[in-house]
Amino acid sequence: MPAIRRFVFFSCVALAAISLSLYSQQSALPLKPNSVRFAVIGDMGTGEKPQYEVAGQMIGDRLKFPFDFVITMGDNLYGGSDPSDYESKFERPYKPLLDAGVPFYAVLGNHDSPNERFYKPFNMNGQKYYTYKKGNVRFFALDSNYMNPQQLSWLEKELQNSGSDWRICYFHHALYSSAAFHGSSTEIRLLLEPLFVRYGVQVVFAGHDHVYERVKPQNGISYFVEGASGSLRKGNLRKKGLTAAGYDQDRSFMLIEIAGDELHFQTISRTGLTVDSGVIRRVAKITGAAARPTLRPGHGGLPGRRLSQPSASDSSEEGQSIPDHHAGDEKSLRPNTADPYRSDEQYCTDTLFAVTL
Amino acid sequence: MKRRIRVSRLFLWLSLFTFVAPGFTDQARPPQVNEEERDFKIFTDRIQEYLKMQKSLKASLPTLEPTKDAARIVEHQHALVRKIADARRAARQGDIFTPEVAERFRKIIDRTFRGPEGRLARETIRPDGSFKPVRLHVNDTCPEEIPLTTTPPTLLLRLPKLPQELAYRFVGRDLTLQDTEARLILDLIPNAIR
Repeated sequence: MPAIRRFVFFSCVALAAISLSLYSQQSALPLKPNSVRFAVIGDMGTGEKPQYEVAGQMIGDRLKFPFDFVITMGDNLYGGSDPSDYESKFERPYKPLLDAGVPFYAVLGNHDSPNERFYKPFNMNGQKYYTYKKGNVRFFALDSNYMNPQQLSWLEKELQNSGSDWRICYFHHALYSSAAFHGSSTEIRLLLEPLFVRYGVQVVFAGHDHVYERVKPQNGISYFVEGASGSLRKGNLRKKGLTAAGYDQDRSFMLIEIAGDELHFQTISRTGLTVDSGVIRRVAKITGAAARPTLRPGHGGLPGRRLSQPSASDSSEEGQSIPDHHAGDEKSLRPNTADPYRSDEQYCTDTLFAVTL
Repeated sequence: MKRRIRVSRLFLWLSLFTFVAPGFTDQARPPQVNEEERDFKIFTDRIQEYLKMQKSLKASLPTLEPTKDAARIVEHQHALVRKIADARRAARQGDIFTPEVAERFRKIIDRTFRGPEGRLARETIRPDGSFKPVRLHVNDTCPEEIPLTTTPPTLLLRLPKLPQELAYRFVGRDLTLQDTEARLILDLIPNAIR
């Protein structure tokens, strides 16, 4: 009798473990028709085993979530740019993706040779900064190593002329980061964030710090740090007021799906655990400015699960001219670009849009 | 009475000295902005000379179009380095950053690093990990193992604009002027950050 009980008990435990494992593998992304699907990796070019393992996980996940392209946050090739580096740190780990015709759109990190821009598989077309469009999304790939006046003018002009619903910027140095090693690139933020706010950039991806972090929306913009797709600084994240969700225990990458007014994200670890997921909703088109997003994050833990309950802001329709001040009090609605010297925590308390948990 | 006259004369001389003397000083020393413009003109002229030379040297090499062949990118860079270094065999430190220009740059750098956003600029150039000082020379290629230091964008707003082929890069405390494609150091200001 005790043997049967033991058998039943262990069977139940095994079943629970299997179901939990399957549940955690479940995609948090809706796979809607005609959506824009891509992966985000950063600081990956080590050529070491963990990079290959993250790449393997991406390749496996592509069977469930067929993303069309990959954006990289720089540090594509650490320690040199000899032909052997291109091979061992890029071509080999991502071979199945490259063979399947998945394009990579890279930016330069501080460990990259500027001549990587001539490497065709990085799709930079010889430029250090560039823009491209996928569906209703306009991407701006920037060179944060050298944010000169020419680049700033170019960005302003391109943002101004962009008629896309979504505007996504990505570059190497994180404007907001809670990691201890580098932290926020405040000086670059001083110049870029006012442009992002003025021209309605909704989402910004960066790397440099070897962790994953989702920053609480700042001035209505959602910031992500994904700098752990090859390198890792374990335990480096100092979760303070700035962090909405973070992961610094293993390598990771992100999967993104943009369908209409929703951007769904799922962050997956090297071993396949969903460490963060959620939805960013584009509120509406505002006359003279672009729509600002609200964020409905996942519960930040395992397993990845989408939250799809409509929030108050969901009722706004695209094309409808709505005032900026549609929630909260006057103080919390002020765009905060006037004083760039404030600490990140101060920024956090003044965010333009509240996070709906 | 005599005393009153003496006081009046003294007052007159003092007035003359106060109002007329600065006029003479101004005439002797032209406005500072012109000196700065003149120095930067020398700098930009030398940049233009370099670009002209670089363009003609590049024209003698096969054009580098985006390629899948990483070896071609590396070979092109090496070939360009050889050509430029050969053509600039006689180049010396101070050819582009002349002493006057270097002094102007130092002042701008000082102003940026000590100004209200100085703390942010210093944070921007903080080296990635432990930085081992290297001795740089004109016509050296920038060592690949040293990560690029972000050039403070607030400083770039103040320094003379460079064409896309060139960049200002800090290596430690030195400011270098680099050809971005060849990664060659064209000139440098040692200890530009004081």
